Amino acid sequence: MESNPILVVGGGPAGLEAARGAGELGYPVLVVEKTPVLGGSPILAPYAALTPDMEDAETAMKRVIDAVEADPLVELRTGTTVTAAEGELPELSVTLAGPDGEEVVKVGAVILCTGFQHFDPGRETQMYGYYEYDDVITLVDIERMLKDERVVRPSTGEPPKRLCFVQCVGSRDRQIGNEWCSKVCCGIACKEAIEIKELLPSCQVFVFYIDMRMYGFWEDQIYWKAQEEHKVQFIRGIVTEITKRGDEVVIKGEDTTMGRPVEVAMDVVVLSVGMEPSDGSREMAEIFGLPLESHGFIETIDGPLNTVSTSKPGFYAAGAAVGPADLEDSISMAGAAVMKAAGFLRKQLVGA
Amino acid sequence: MPERSTYKTTTARRAPRDEGFVQDEQVILEGVDISGQWNKMYEPREIVDYDLTHLEELTAIPGAESMGWCYQCAQCIPACPVDTAGGDYGPRKIFRRLQTGMDLFDHQDMWLCTSCQNCVRVCPKEVDMVEIMPAARAQAVLDGRNVPGELLEMFQNVAEYGNPMGESARRRTRWTRKAGVDIRLLPKNPGPVDVLWFVGDYYAFHNRGVDAAQAMARVFSRLGVDFGILGVDERTDGDSQRLAGEPGLFEEVAEHNLEQFGKYEFGKIVVSGPHAYNAIKNEYPRVSHGKTGGDTYPVEHYTQFLAQQVDALAPLLSGSFARKVTFHDPCYLGRHNGEYDAPRRLLEAVPGIEFVEMYRCKAQGYCCGGGGGGMWLDGFAAEHQMERLSENRVKEAVEVGAEVLAVCCPYEVSRFEDAVKSTDNDGKLEVLDIIEILDACMEPIGEGVA
Repeated sequence: MESNPILVVGGGPAGLEAARGAGELGYPVLVVEKTPVLGGSPILAPYAALTPDMEDAETAMKRVIDAVEADPLVELRTGTTVTAAEGELPELSVTLAGPDGEEVVKVGAVILCTGFQHFDPGRETQMYGYYEYDDVITLVDIERMLKDERVVRPSTGEPPKRLCFVQCVGSRDRQIGNEWCSKVCCGIACKEAIEIKELLPSCQVFVFYIDMRMYGFWEDQIYWKAQEEHKVQFIRGIVTEITKRGDEVVIKGEDTTMGRPVEVAMDVVVLSVGMEPSDGSREMAEIFGLPLESHGFIETIDGPLNTVSTSKPGFYAAGAAVGPADLEDSISMAGAAVMKAAGFLRKQLVGA
Repeated sequence: MPERSTYKTTTARRAPRDEGFVQDEQVILEGVDISGQWNKMYEPREIVDYDLTHLEELTAIPGAESMGWCYQCAQCIPACPVDTAGGDYGPRKIFRRLQTGMDLFDHQDMWLCTSCQNCVRVCPKEVDMVEIMPAARAQAVLDGRNVPGELLEMFQNVAEYGNPMGESARRRTRWTRKAGVDIRLLPKNPGPVDVLWFVGDYYAFHNRGVDAAQAMARVFSRLGVDFGILGVDERTDGDSQRLAGEPGLFEEVAEHNLEQFGKYEFGKIVVSGPHAYNAIKNEYPRVSHGKTGGDTYPVEHYTQFLAQQVDALAPLLSGSFARKVTFHDPCYLGRHNGEYDAPRRLLEAVPGIEFVEMYRCKAQGYCCGGGGGGMWLDGFAAEHQMERLSENRVKEAVEVGAEVLAVCCPYEVSRFEDAVKSTDNDGKLEVLDIIEILDACMEPIGEGVA
């Protein structure tokens, strides 16, 4: 007796890992990805290299994609969205809208892996001038340059002599409404700083931070490495605002360990934008009738001992859909979610 | 070492006027002319540049790399004896100043570290000031960049006379005449001995050091120790010169001393001072030149040597020393070499003694200020600190109610005796070398001579 497939919404790291896990457990799985490509943020952003091991993002994601593509139990639908759901699990009718039109499929369990979106620094444009100043960019923008192995000052096309990262942009901010730490930006800034120094050894790279949040091994793998081997300068004190003085972009803030205000010109300022709930998470929560938690991510129940179960049996969520998450978190949660989904289906099948 | 004329001193602070922060201005307030420099005086608050030139210059010096590793946890600051003495100093501060453009070669921070090792003990990033500062200072001395005059004078003395005081080498054995016991001078009487006693400069030349040296000779004699000294052939151990920025001078005296050791047959070296102990134990084996260079000798600090024989020593302590005594751990015996017990075991053996620890003791012990060249930088330190480290320490000894501050580093008697006077504790606190206390409890020798 075969169950209806597990529906995985989202073809990023968490979704692909959930699909791979389901296949390995012997359960059919249907992956629905709204963009035309698999791989999620690492591919779409695009990221040049993954944090913290700095493996090329395309190579790393290709391994996961190849594994699911080779599994006959995995069905992949790109360019496809979920538009409606009706009935109850494990016989839930889900309407899919794809390149070939609409289709209704029955699914046995649901895992939402709808990811995050980067904070749009235009929301506080008066402070950091992202849309006003060419030389103020985000860590996504610099990732693109790193992928091309060509880091330049956008206004001149010349390599920057002095570049800084500004941490916590769009995170930890009640005024903006984002009262969370995005978890990964400190690590990504360190990773990118190392990559910049490798490309441009004479460029001075600074990181302005409130506190560096380098969980676990990221501490020595990228933070200490950036400071000790690549001479990246870390300065405690966040940048308040960015102004222009002639052609120069000037950061203003306090150097808190010196107790002195700072007004220093930079060739390039990189805003370390954080994570926000994705539109896809909100849409799926609506369609499947799942509540969002107070920050706007998909709510999981049972606290820290159960990171993937939602308030409805048979519905699970993994990765940055439930809150800021790094790759390790996302992959681990995907494994937990597919294990619980398989358990849910098995109970239905054997009537335990 | 460079010619003396190439050295500059930094004794004078630069006036704000020279920095361009001050302008003359005519100001009349309520009919009174208050024109002057002071009315426009301010220091720019903004950091307008992070000029990394000097940080990069410093961390490029072999040995000074770890200065760039600081992540501002600030654990070093409460551990730093200089900051505690009002020096506005410490490894994390130096790093930040370097990051904001300070040239260490043009700044007092170059010369305030006493190499006490307390920051190294607590630093999670292993920023090693005891490696960094000597490496940076060696560069400063080599380039003749703002080396304090009093330090240069000391280097000159060592180069010329083999001791930091500039005393004639011939006077090294003068103290032996009134020791009350016979002391074998190995150059004159070179037969085998059990113990080669490395006396050290302060024991040989300083008037209070001489008291301790004579006490040591008597205690050795009463214990029946078969010992000899190098006499006029001994030179300073060189460790403080190395740490203060003269590794070349260190090598020179180390090679000389190693050559002397090589001439005689002896069981072990016993030293009076923790700096000599550190040098002979840890640094001399690295000295690579010369035919005797690189040799490793068994070496003990005198407290270690005597503590091993405490069972034989105790019966000789017939007198009583009924006073409240505290003990100052020397940085180079304690933190640098891990010996905290030997001096305490000796003090515990003293009849009648009431021993009390200071708050900052053993691994957390406070520095006297004499290490790393600090012994010859008192004038410089006074300019940049609220108090001397020795003064800070003496106040603590008084606070715990001690009547006697016991020491076992030859630098310390003079440092602490000065501090007792300058902190108005004259008559309240006596500073004694442990060997003086032991000697005082024994039957007198050579009555009327000692």
